[in-house]
Amino acid sequence: MLVVTFVKQVPDTTQVKVDPVTGTLVREGVPFIMNPFDVHALEESLRLKDKYGFRVIVLSMGPPNTEVTLRKALALGADEAILLSDRVFGGADTLATSAVLAEATKKLAQKEEIAIVMCGKQTIDGDTAQVGPGIATRLGYPQLTLVDLIVNVDLQAKKVKVRRRLEGRYEIVESPLPSLISILRRANRPRYPVVPRRLMAQDAPVELWNNKVMGLKEDTIGLKGSATQVRKIFSPERTKGEILGDGANKPEETAKLLIDKLLAKNIICLK
Amino acid sequence: MSVNVAVFIPVLVIAAALFIWSCFRRFRLVLLGKPANRFRNIGKRVKSMIYFAFGQRCTVNHGYKFGLNHLVLFWCFMILLIANTEFLLHGLSPNVISFSRLTHGVYYPLAYIFDVLSVLALASVIIAIIRRLVFPPYYIQARSRDAFTILGLIAVLMLAFFSLHGTEIAQGKEIAAKYMPISNAFSHIFSGASAGTLGAYANAFWWLHAVVLLSFLNYLPYSKHMHILTSIPNVFFRSTTKVNTQLPEEFKKGNTFGVGQVNQFSWKDLFDSYSCTECGRCSNMCPATYTGKLLNPRLVIHDIKVNLLKNGPLIAQSKATNMPLIGGGQEGSIADEVLWACTTCGACMEVCPVFIEHVPKIVDMRRNLVEMKAKFPTELLPFFENIEQRSNPWGIVPSDRIKWAADLNVKPFEAGKTEYLFYVGCFGAFDARSRKVTLSIAQILNTAGISWGILGKDELCCGDSLRRLGNEFVFDRMARDNVKIFKDRGVKKVITECPHCYNTLKNDYHQYGIELDVIHHTELLNNLIKSGKLSLNGSKDLGNVVFHDSCYLGRYNNIYEAPRQAVTSVTHRVPTEMERNLEKSFCCGAGGGRMWMEESTGKRIDVERVEQALAKNPSTICVCCPYCLTMFEDGLKDKKADEKVQVLDLAEIVAGALKK
Amino acid sequence: MEEEKKIKRPRGVARLIVGKCIACGARCEASCNKDAIEMNAKGEPVINTAKCIGCRKCVKVCPAEAIEMYFTPEEQKILAEIAAREKKAGVKEVSTEEAATLAEIKEYKGVWVFVEHNEGVPAVVSWELLGAGAELTKKLGVELCSVVIGDKVENLCQESIACGASKVYVIDSPVFHYYRTEAYYKAICYLVDKYKPEIMLIGATGLGRDLAGAVATKLSTGLTADCTGLAIDDKGFLLQTRPAFGGNIMATILTERTRPQMATVRPHVMPMPTYDKSRKGEIIREAVPIKEEEIAAKVLEVVEDAKSGAECVDLEGAEVIVSGGRGMKAKENFALLQQLADELGGVVGCSRAVVEAKWMPVDRQVGQTGKTVRPKIYIACGISGAIQHLVGMQSSDVIIAINQDKQAPIFEVATYGIVGDVFQVVPALIKGIKESRGKT
Repeated sequence: MLVVTFVKQVPDTTQVKVDPVTGTLVREGVPFIMNPFDVHALEESLRLKDKYGFRVIVLSMGPPNTEVTLRKALALGADEAILLSDRVFGGADTLATSAVLAEATKKLAQKEEIAIVMCGKQTIDGDTAQVGPGIATRLGYPQLTLVDLIVNVDLQAKKVKVRRRLEGRYEIVESPLPSLISILRRANRPRYPVVPRRLMAQDAPVELWNNKVMGLKEDTIGLKGSATQVRKIFSPERTKGEILGDGANKPEETAKLLIDKLLAKNIICLK
Repeated sequence: MSVNVAVFIPVLVIAAALFIWSCFRRFRLVLLGKPANRFRNIGKRVKSMIYFAFGQRCTVNHGYKFGLNHLVLFWCFMILLIANTEFLLHGLSPNVISFSRLTHGVYYPLAYIFDVLSVLALASVIIAIIRRLVFPPYYIQARSRDAFTILGLIAVLMLAFFSLHGTEIAQGKEIAAKYMPISNAFSHIFSGASAGTLGAYANAFWWLHAVVLLSFLNYLPYSKHMHILTSIPNVFFRSTTKVNTQLPEEFKKGNTFGVGQVNQFSWKDLFDSYSCTECGRCSNMCPATYTGKLLNPRLVIHDIKVNLLKNGPLIAQSKATNMPLIGGGQEGSIADEVLWACTTCGACMEVCPVFIEHVPKIVDMRRNLVEMKAKFPTELLPFFENIEQRSNPWGIVPSDRIKWAADLNVKPFEAGKTEYLFYVGCFGAFDARSRKVTLSIAQILNTAGISWGILGKDELCCGDSLRRLGNEFVFDRMARDNVKIFKDRGVKKVITECPHCYNTLKNDYHQYGIELDVIHHTELLNNLIKSGKLSLNGSKDLGNVVFHDSCYLGRYNNIYEAPRQAVTSVTHRVPTEMERNLEKSFCCGAGGGRMWMEESTGKRIDVERVEQALAKNPSTICVCCPYCLTMFEDGLKDKKADEKVQVLDLAEIVAGALKK
Repeated sequence: MEEEKKIKRPRGVARLIVGKCIACGARCEASCNKDAIEMNAKGEPVINTAKCIGCRKCVKVCPAEAIEMYFTPEEQKILAEIAAREKKAGVKEVSTEEAATLAEIKEYKGVWVFVEHNEGVPAVVSWELLGAGAELTKKLGVELCSVVIGDKVENLCQESIACGASKVYVIDSPVFHYYRTEAYYKAICYLVDKYKPEIMLIGATGLGRDLAGAVATKLSTGLTADCTGLAIDDKGFLLQTRPAFGGNIMATILTERTRPQMATVRPHVMPMPTYDKSRKGEIIREAVPIKEEEIAAKVLEVVEDAKSGAECVDLEGAEVIVSGGRGMKAKENFALLQQLADELGGVVGCSRAVVEAKWMPVDRQVGQTGKTVRPKIYIACGISGAIQHLVGMQSSDVIIAINQDKQAPIFEVATYGIVGDVFQVVPALIKGIKESRGKT
């Protein structure tokens, strides 16, 4: 049985700086990495592989250089990697993205039974957390989002039991296979690739699925299939560091000053 | 005296055969190890063998008083070896082989020497026994049965020697009696006995001597005293250069990496384990052992030996082994935690009298854990990822590397236009505290009119910690990237701020085909002061300056004097030394990648070192390394002494004294 | 003399403005019909001017305004001429395409707010959304409605009305006792198909985002996540503004061709509406034929944090972290930080030195060898800011540093720095917060 794992190659947004003068993004030297949430999703898949003997196939939609990220997944222990890349896939919003990913899952399901579709909770560049639910809805799989623990997989009864983390509470949920699981970062501590696997991954085959293979209608994918349009992008108003009080003022006054600033900027709300 | 040759021949043959068989069994296991070239520079090797082994330099240096006792015993042993050879041959053919058949002019002095050396040997054995019993030993295991057995055997051998010759003198058979003062004295014990009794005694003592001698011989290969056989060759095979790097690995599919099984060591590593005398000097010097960590360098070597003896025969027959080299839990297996406790400070290797190379073995085993098993302390994961992705330990965006120079007009390095590359290093570029050191160095270079430039955001991490932590795969890539940049940019001369960068650029990178002229800032500053390019007025009062040696400058690269001279030039006073200084300096606790790990077992090494410094009542502690700087500041805060004692890098001290 | 001739308008070629591309994900490449754009390894377009026909598609699609049209000086001259002529003639370009789409989506009316609750206990964000929705309806001149789905949730209908909804669509059935995506999204899709709202707002909570993703996919409509700003443009489109790229930039997003326009909205951002019990509204009861057996996922157990009692601190998920360093001086003093954290609904973290001193357990450690956190507010008390600590918290949205040492590196990353004694400033803050809360 398969664990299908989706990963995305993203710019490391924690490394992005905004030029204080021009207000534009300074992307120079910012590397592309495997989306950190997906690293945890992959780890969870690999643990399922270790425990239940599933095969782990990792898929990623993106430009051709996404291969680097897929090779990293292979080095970590994925059995197969598939790159979904075509210029007609480009410029996709979450709706158009899930169309391609769901279709790829369907193709895999024709050949081998799928146990779980795994993805990270969200990406660090888009921060939407919408693609997982999108894939599940398109496939008609139950969706288990915000999972921080996979309690067990019952292969006999074909069920999976997970723990979901919601605001202020946990939920223990049971769901039939196949299900889609989106993983929180706290779920696990990712492994580090061993060198023999890294060497293997350097020239392991990475299958390419373009739209000739996928055969999707062009108005459902990519830019044309996107329901949302980005009207404009601008720099957020940025509070430059400022020193309050400077030690001379009374602590009460400084505290008051700070609270007022926080309230004024909607950083805290005291209701 | 008539020895029963018919009895002795089979005894000797059996004993010799047993001995040879034992040696064969043990030494063939050494050949299971991987190849290592230790035959180049024969002349240098012979010289160092004579100096260190026969000259016993290594046992008496570092102020070890009892080393003298070893020297006496060693030379007694070497010379008595001749006497004992004669003794055995004489037993085989009593009428043909005997020193007594030599001319008196040769025989009498020989008899005298043997007699006197025997008593010296006896005395030194007794001192050794008393020392183990009475004086506190380095470690309690020095009182082992093994030690007392061998010392006892030697003592009995010597007593048998005197008794044998004593009875012979009493019998009037010894023509050199006059020249054998001790044996002569022994003869008085037997003076009243009849000729028959004396004959029986002589016969008994002869056999006692023979049996003890042969037992001793056969006991050697099975005890720590195997070093009698191995340490001299081990000194011969020692590394002809300082052990300040590790060997590269070849990253080819199908290879295994690091050492996870004992036969993956080189033969020299295995031979090292046979050469260990278990003297405990390494443990005595080791900062990890000292502060209560699981690591004890002596036991690491011992465990390798035990593992080899247990697993070697199985490996030789391609059978499965059942005692893992790494994992711990029993003698002969080394716990992971032991390996991660090492700071690679090199104090163990510096002090080892037989030149055992501990650190490369520990790194080799770390390599196995990291590269084959991905097993390492969890806090190293972000470190490894950051270094690999961002080429710095914290994962900070590379463009921040030039932040320190924001207010300065720092030139980029350009071959032909700038003479030196100032390789700032990760700490110097990113760490707020170390950036002050970087600025001081920049100020000094400018004042002295040095032509220098930086790589700026293109500078990469040197990879020192990665290599010491056993992540050779990533180190290998980083080294290649760095070497490529240096070659592409035409870098020839490099100034480093950090001793770890210094050592890596100087000693690791030449494995990658680049010979850089690397200079650490302490050396450069001292040269500039000496050549008068910096004028100092030394106005700032630093109080009592205590100096701390960085392992990677001192022990690794012999830079001891330059920083001390520079401090002296500024303060006009020689800096105060700590008890543990120079080649015996005590690590700050951050080397070998320990900087990036938690330290939860035992006492913190930095706190220990800070206490050692505080014992000298300093106002200022002078360091030359960003790691030491961080660790000392941390330790001082822990000791709540950070308000009265400051830690300064040498560059800050010099910059503070520049004439304005 | 040229005035007499009909001049051909030069189309120019697209050109990348250096430094403006944000590698949004190859929108320009996808928009180009002539394959004139290839993305490089950095994710930036390389434009083949030989293939470019000057159609401007890439220029229009680029969210970062990083592509411009380039005209040679000669072309520029011609353009100026045309412009001058057109000014005289008063020519205007009209797009018929836009008008067509507008007509298609016209039948969708009204602003809906999904009322999130946990077994009948409402999430505050739902009321905030009614507050925000009221603003939008004012501009659009439509109704503000709420959607309540659950088991015995009558009280939520009344509260919705009190918070400003003029209509409440309610589906009340035991099958909706626990939130399950499948049941809920089917219920909402049923209502949307039937009543056709033009805007649907959902709180950007864990539950809300789970639900919204499924609903939008089923309806094949646009969904914008985690909005922090909502507005209506002059064409009546919902302008959804949200941080992207790890908060480094803001993006304004539209759903132009499909309806409803869906958005999840970040809690604590929109103003609460005034609560008025006397408001009247219409309650529309609906039933959806969903049976328990049809729902695949079963909720076996719900463990409330408050009830579980276990000392489980979720540093990585916390929105507010009050962190202490060596400057806290003793273990007991962390109680003070706990008080401040309680006031702000946060948790207490610490630096490595604190763990080493055994003042706090290791799972509270922030930094290189501890946890990497990104809360909305990080308050560093008595932390000097060694690099190992900074890398674990410096991408927090707002950093407040309280430290006696003016030179401490923590102030380099702080949004607000207070130089002063932690033991005076923190109690003053706690007192100040209590007072402010008393006022509102």
